[in-house]
Amino acid sequence: MRKFNITVNGVSYEVEVEEVKDGVIQPVATRPSTPAPAPVAKPTPQPAKPVAAKPAAAPATAPAGATTIESPMPGNIWKVLVKEGESVKEGQVLLILEAMKMENEIMAPADGVVASIHVSEGASVNGGDILISLK
Amino acid sequence: MNKLEELRQRKATIQMGGGEKRIASQHEKGKLTARERVNLLFDEGTFVEMDAFIKHRCVNFGMEKVDAPGEGVVTGYGQVDGRLVYVYAQDFTVVGGSLGEMHAKKICKVQDMALKMGAPVVALNDSGGARIQEGVDALSGYGHIFYRNTISSGVIPQISAIMGPCAGGAVYSPALTDFIFMVDKTSQMFITGPQVIKTVTGEEVSAEALGGAMTHNKTSGVAHFISQNDEACIAEIRQLLSFLPSNNMETPPVFDVEDDINKIIPELDEIVPENPNKPYDMKKVIELLADNGDFFEVQPYYAQNMITGFVRINGGSVGIIANQPKVLAGCLDINASDKAGRFIRTCDCFNIPVLNLVDVPGFLPGTSQEYGGIIRHGAKMLYAYSEATVPKITLIVRKAYGGAYIGMCNKELGADVVLAWPSAEIAVMGPEGAANIIFKNEIGKSEDPQGTRTEKIEEYKSEFATPYKAAERGFVDDVIEPSVTRPRLVDALNMLQSKRETRPPKKHGNLPV
Repeated sequence: MRKFNITVNGVSYEVEVEEVKDGVIQPVATRPSTPAPAPVAKPTPQPAKPVAAKPAAAPATAPAGATTIESPMPGNIWKVLVKEGESVKEGQVLLILEAMKMENEIMAPADGVVASIHVSEGASVNGGDILISLK
Repeated sequence: MNKLEELRQRKATIQMGGGEKRIASQHEKGKLTARERVNLLFDEGTFVEMDAFIKHRCVNFGMEKVDAPGEGVVTGYGQVDGRLVYVYAQDFTVVGGSLGEMHAKKICKVQDMALKMGAPVVALNDSGGARIQEGVDALSGYGHIFYRNTISSGVIPQISAIMGPCAGGAVYSPALTDFIFMVDKTSQMFITGPQVIKTVTGEEVSAEALGGAMTHNKTSGVAHFISQNDEACIAEIRQLLSFLPSNNMETPPVFDVEDDINKIIPELDEIVPENPNKPYDMKKVIELLADNGDFFEVQPYYAQNMITGFVRINGGSVGIIANQPKVLAGCLDINASDKAGRFIRTCDCFNIPVLNLVDVPGFLPGTSQEYGGIIRHGAKMLYAYSEATVPKITLIVRKAYGGAYIGMCNKELGADVVLAWPSAEIAVMGPEGAANIIFKNEIGKSEDPQGTRTEKIEEYKSEFATPYKAAERGFVDDVIEPSVTRPRLVDALNMLQSKRETRPPKKHGNLPV
């Protein structure tokens, strides 16, 4: 970081110049937004690195390319309405899960192709079980 | 230089905040500056700035040489749709919007004024966090703000928008307010950032995945709204304010109704499927009942089995709490109870009548729910409904079973008007389960147990899975044709306008948290 004195219309400004590295702008004079350190015994505390204002990185996604659809709650698979290899549209009903006295429609979260079906009709599933993978 | 000239120059410097370069960098990130945001929030030309000349008095670590125009926060008041609203907007272009002693002092002044005048506070957060050079003075500043957030809670509406970073202790001011908006992609909230997490636990996570707008709208339930960009966020804040009164002694503004209040809606007669096991979209019911079909949903991405939000009926604000049969069969679970409990209390604070649309099969069974404390979380709904003194209207659309029937505000929790559609099933439990228990002996002794069972289920269904048993006892005031629901609600809300209900004096209740 470098400092300059600049005079504009007779008013003198002290200016700090930001250094741009790899497109990431390190904010000047903003101390990193490191919150109060957690009370954990830390070996050799390192000098705090700037944390703030990091451009949003792509959110961590599921394993490359595949979307898995999990059962939202325990129940029985009543109907499977798609086949492996079939292409589906966002919002299309893939299967019907009978749970809580309701025929719950499990829908495709996005367009894709059915990679594999992990359950068969009549199977009972737990919440969090993988039902279908989409490519 | 004459004195007038000096004043103008001083003001011009403050207006420029962190200077052209930082303003440009703010714009590059897709963010507006604090002043641009404030000007968008208020009706044109109504913003009055306070404390523009305030300066920090830190002399540590070279801070004495740092000039911070406006102290990194723009504060003041103005009008939103002609009503007084206070604002503070952190200015990221000035020392990163970091919070020091005097920065906090500006905020506290706004909070104090708003409480005294009984007007909402809008907080536009965009700050790198505590100004570390100021040490405990910065922490003291946060403490002062949190305290005022709490004291003002339930007196004036407090709305927070996260429009940049908001990390560490800073997150707790928004958390104490009534509503949190987050701008997609440019806002993050977390207690400890990705770097700290990596150092302490080794876990690697991006800032967006950890505390981005969608994370808090969908997963944590910390935020109530996600906005496309700064402009949309400010517009939505203005819209939200239109549903709220200025303080707890006033009622929400009433608007002229263009929509027919006596409208018969034949579509409602068809909306609930014949088969009680078929889902449908409760949001359609809400939109059909609302003035002009407008539904301003609160927390649309979190616990979607429970719908919360505002509509207007006959021009006045109404808070909707509704089960969504399309998601998780509309059952109550931990997150749904939390979401509804909080929303009911928000409505009660601000004199907004609540309308409960019930289609609930029960509580979600399972170890994860029990271990997660569904008992104490579910209790929040019972507590919030019982405690609420605003007009409470319950419309039983279809299922209303067991504890969940009570949890959705039945007569005993103080519902002033309970209406039911003919499709309503109000009972202790569903027909299958109930028949198995009540007719256990008959089914056991029968030569054709399966046949007897089906017969008994049918018997129970026609006898008990109806609204009429509850109506016989007066737990349901009336069973109505769905198509006339809107005029009936308009009438009930009118009738309940003069409702007065008092509670025994106490310091405060003890809501299970």
